[in-house]
Amino acid sequence: MVYSSELIKGTLKTIILKLLADNKKMYGYEITQRVREVSRDRIQITEGALYPTLHAMEADGLVTTEVDYIGKRMRKYYSLSPAGKAATRERVKEIAAFMQTMATLLDIQPKTA
Amino acid sequence: MYPITDRHIEYILTDLRARGITIPDLQQNLIDHICILIERNLGEEQDFEVFYRSVLPSFYREEMAEIEAETNFLLKHRRPFLLLSRGQFLLGLFALLVGPFVSIGVMCLLRTGRLPLEVWGSTLIFAQFPLWIWIVLAFTPDRFDPLLPTGAKVLISRKPFISIL
Repeated sequence: MVYSSELIKGTLKTIILKLLADNKKMYGYEITQRVREVSRDRIQITEGALYPTLHAMEADGLVTTEVDYIGKRMRKYYSLSPAGKAATRERVKEIAAFMQTMATLLDIQPKTA
Repeated sequence: MYPITDRHIEYILTDLRARGITIPDLQQNLIDHICILIERNLGEEQDFEVFYRSVLPSFYREEMAEIEAETNFLLKHRRPFLLLSRGQFLLGLFALLVGPFVSIGVMCLLRTGRLPLEVWGSTLIFAQFPLWIWIVLAFTPDRFDPLLPTGAKVLISRKPFISIL
């Protein structure tokens, strides 16, 4: 089951922040593939959602960038700034609390392995 | 792996421009992304243009320019510099108005051993403004809050500097 884009939209920034926290530096395509891999294809980040978010995060000072050239082609690597690291902690904490609230609200029992 | 040449990159860039992608950073990000897709999925004998045209629609719903529009939208509605609760905002206002007088008062006390009338008098006068606001807010219901409504923004230039939660 692939989750709807409405569900993913509100969590995209948190997903990117956490990935960058775990992987030091990543480029756009790498982020989309890593999300697919970790979520077992259930979350598919579209390019149309990813790049605008990355640009906004850069403008907000949450990520820093470095550029690598492959011939005439430019690859932009993103990594967390100190503000981004603090934001990651806050947002992960917030989303964990939100998930707990939703589980209570929707009366969802956690699955045991 | 399909070999991407400068001619291919030039072709993609021209096409992206024609489709409304004008932000250079966005162009470069998309070029790299498209190039990786081509390199990994296109055989050496296959047609570059046909594959390029087939892969592009997965980037948008109706048209490519959506990506630039979304980027501009997010850049325009960036988060404010500070997110404060009403209590924090008033505490900050109180500290800003009263803080200088308290500092001067402490300095006077340390130097002369007494607190001049002008200093504590001014402190009391300036302390009243945030205190009165706080009192009004404390007794005003959230849904009718003419002084400092939830979601209020303190603007500096066109961008919100502080957003009140």
